[in-house]
Amino acid sequence: MIQKKICLLGASSVGKTSLVKQFVEGIFSEKYLTTIGVKVDKKSLVVDDEEINFMLWDIEGSDRYNVFEERYLRGAAGYIIVVDQTRASSLIEGLDIHTLAKQVTSCPAVLAINKSDLPSTWHLSAIEQDAYQKLFDLQFTTSAKTGEHVDDMFLALAALLLKDKKNDITAE
Amino acid sequence: MADYQFQQKTKQLAREILLSNDRLFLQNEYLQTRLRSILSQPPEQSNLVFALTKVIENADFGVIVVDANFSTIIENTAALTLFEHNSSNNTTAVRPINIITKLMKNQLPEYDRIISTKSNWDGELCWISPPSTLKWLKIGFHPVKNKLNEPESWLVFANDISTIKHLAQRNEKLALQDMLTELPNRFSFWQTLDQQIITGSPFYLLYVDINEFRRHNEFYGHQEGDKLLIDFGRRIESVIKKSDFIARVGGDEFAIILANIDNQEACKGAIERILETISKPYQTNKLESFHISVSIGAANFPNDATSVEELMKFVDLSAYSGKENKKNSLLFYSQEIKDASHHLIKVEQELRQAINQEEFELFLQPIVDLESHSISKAEALIRWNHPTKGLISPDKFIPIAEKSGLIITIGEWVIKRACQMIKEINAKGHNVIISINLSPSQVIDENLFSYLHSCIKTSQVEPSSLELEVTEGVLVDDYSIAKRLLNNARAIGITVSVDDFGTGYSSLAYLKKLPLDFLKIDRSFIKDIVADENDKAIVRAVIAMAHNLKLSVISEGVETEEQLKFLIKNSCNSVQGYLFSRPVQLEYFLDILKEQW
Repeated sequence: MIQKKICLLGASSVGKTSLVKQFVEGIFSEKYLTTIGVKVDKKSLVVDDEEINFMLWDIEGSDRYNVFEERYLRGAAGYIIVVDQTRASSLIEGLDIHTLAKQVTSCPAVLAINKSDLPSTWHLSAIEQDAYQKLFDLQFTTSAKTGEHVDDMFLALAALLLKDKKNDITAE
Repeated sequence: MADYQFQQKTKQLAREILLSNDRLFLQNEYLQTRLRSILSQPPEQSNLVFALTKVIENADFGVIVVDANFSTIIENTAALTLFEHNSSNNTTAVRPINIITKLMKNQLPEYDRIISTKSNWDGELCWISPPSTLKWLKIGFHPVKNKLNEPESWLVFANDISTIKHLAQRNEKLALQDMLTELPNRFSFWQTLDQQIITGSPFYLLYVDINEFRRHNEFYGHQEGDKLLIDFGRRIESVIKKSDFIARVGGDEFAIILANIDNQEACKGAIERILETISKPYQTNKLESFHISVSIGAANFPNDATSVEELMKFVDLSAYSGKENKKNSLLFYSQEIKDASHHLIKVEQELRQAINQEEFELFLQPIVDLESHSISKAEALIRWNHPTKGLISPDKFIPIAEKSGLIITIGEWVIKRACQMIKEINAKGHNVIISINLSPSQVIDENLFSYLHSCIKTSQVEPSSLELEVTEGVLVDDYSIAKRLLNNARAIGITVSVDDFGTGYSSLAYLKKLPLDFLKIDRSFIKDIVADENDKAIVRAVIAMAHNLKLSVISEGVETEEQLKFLIKNSCNSVQGYLFSRPVQLEYFLDILKEQW
């Protein structure tokens, strides 16, 4: 079975832990509990009859109390930058992390615009949206609360990784 | 494990505070953007009151609009909910604004100053009302002034920050520390000041206010503003003694206790060290370099005051009195400061009355064209006919008008009156240009050009009969705004001259770039022109340079025949001064014109 390390990155309290919890256990809690360091979860998926095991690295959010460290990305097959659509500052933070991440890895990157159950406070023009979309391999609007597009996102990432594997003749 | 739990708890707390702060900031920003966009629309294009009321009603936090006497005009549901009294015995409803002003009076030594100077205030208040109300409020208190610089209304924002405070107070360090600069905060400062007074040993209290911080924030952005505050605090911290104490007590205000100092000389020494370090250049994230200046107020314990409230009130007033844009200032508290502050308020009131009762008069001083030997222009100079003090010259009241914002209204009166005068002069068959002086505030006033234009239209005078005089300082400081105004003015035929040339910044670069017609050489160069070789050289050079740039030259303060001879010999274009006439009232000016023909 293929095993892939996926990192969830982003500003603090954007919902990284909640996305993992929703995806792995199918539950959501309103209570905010900040993550310290990193928490690893596992979940198996089946895409096109192929089983893939995701090791989900839920990494402590970046803010003035915790600076993003590239070392967490070592060996990652993909990463998800999570942003909170009720806080424009989390998008900027997310893009900054993405820039840093790209310097150490060329693996696929996903943008998850989370908290879609709440009204958005930023208004991106079509040009801006297009520009951000181009920076990532995949982009999803998610809600860890309602589960909207959460499974879709992880499945799409799995499919992308499998496709890349097939195209890569040097892969095991 | 214990360490992990400790870290988890601390970060949990800190991040909850960050989140609450973020939310508050967003709400405020949203409302302010909406209000600004509604207010910037021309009134006829929007149902202003309806739109405003709707925005205010939908805000998540209290918004109150009161008139000058603090009677409520609008208050939203959030404001009423915020101040809902939980005591069942309370039958008479108290208006939210009354609660806020009462809290401000009791908790802010600067309250009287804020009201009398019509200043903005943002800060925190604690509302305790037995048996069970304890709320922390974040208040924004902003005057909406009319043309006479009187507050027509006050706009008040009230946020309940009890949750943030509660979270912060669970961690004592955070409760006493300013989150941004990590210096002690206002509450910590008050405690320390209190303790310092109890010890009874003498000290100096300083109040340091960064000049034009708001403008800095608008120019470079809030992130850069935050960076400046952090850097600023650190610099001061590095030059004061360990026994001294510094805190951030407001947006751009810092307070310092200089312990064990009992004389002004020693205090000045400490302040010099502070000024030296904060005067060094700062850098933005994009490595742009800039300087700042500060206003410092200082007061001594126990000589000036012996209570926390009085000391704070005195340093606040001293810093405010010394506040002059772009310069570092230091004022020690004294009776004179108190008197000067009263004097300022009194003159401002009298000026307001003067505007209403039309106590101003425009005098005209002829400007003689040396080629045609005739009066081609006149400079309009304002005088104040004070009911008891008689004629007052502009240098006595214009600076106060400038500081209080009344200059805009006075300036508009000057424009209107000048247009009327042109019409009266034309009616007598003369063609003379009237030049009017524009103050820095007028130049940056967005409505100035449309006002000028409408006055010219209403009075049915030729725009070319009007000339604008601006000083060098204005041109350099507000270059792009000045350029736009002058371009607009020139486009309709109004001419432009640079006043007091040579006394200000003398940055010659703008002479080339700006749309100008005349340079007016300041009287200080003309005064000793006959004897002083340096002045001679300067005047010759200015005339030559102006002519090369296709500008004409007017010399001010010409009083003797010798001066005139020199200017004629060196191809000066026009002259103005007592040799021809002092500033006179319109009827005398008309007589002079008549005699000339």
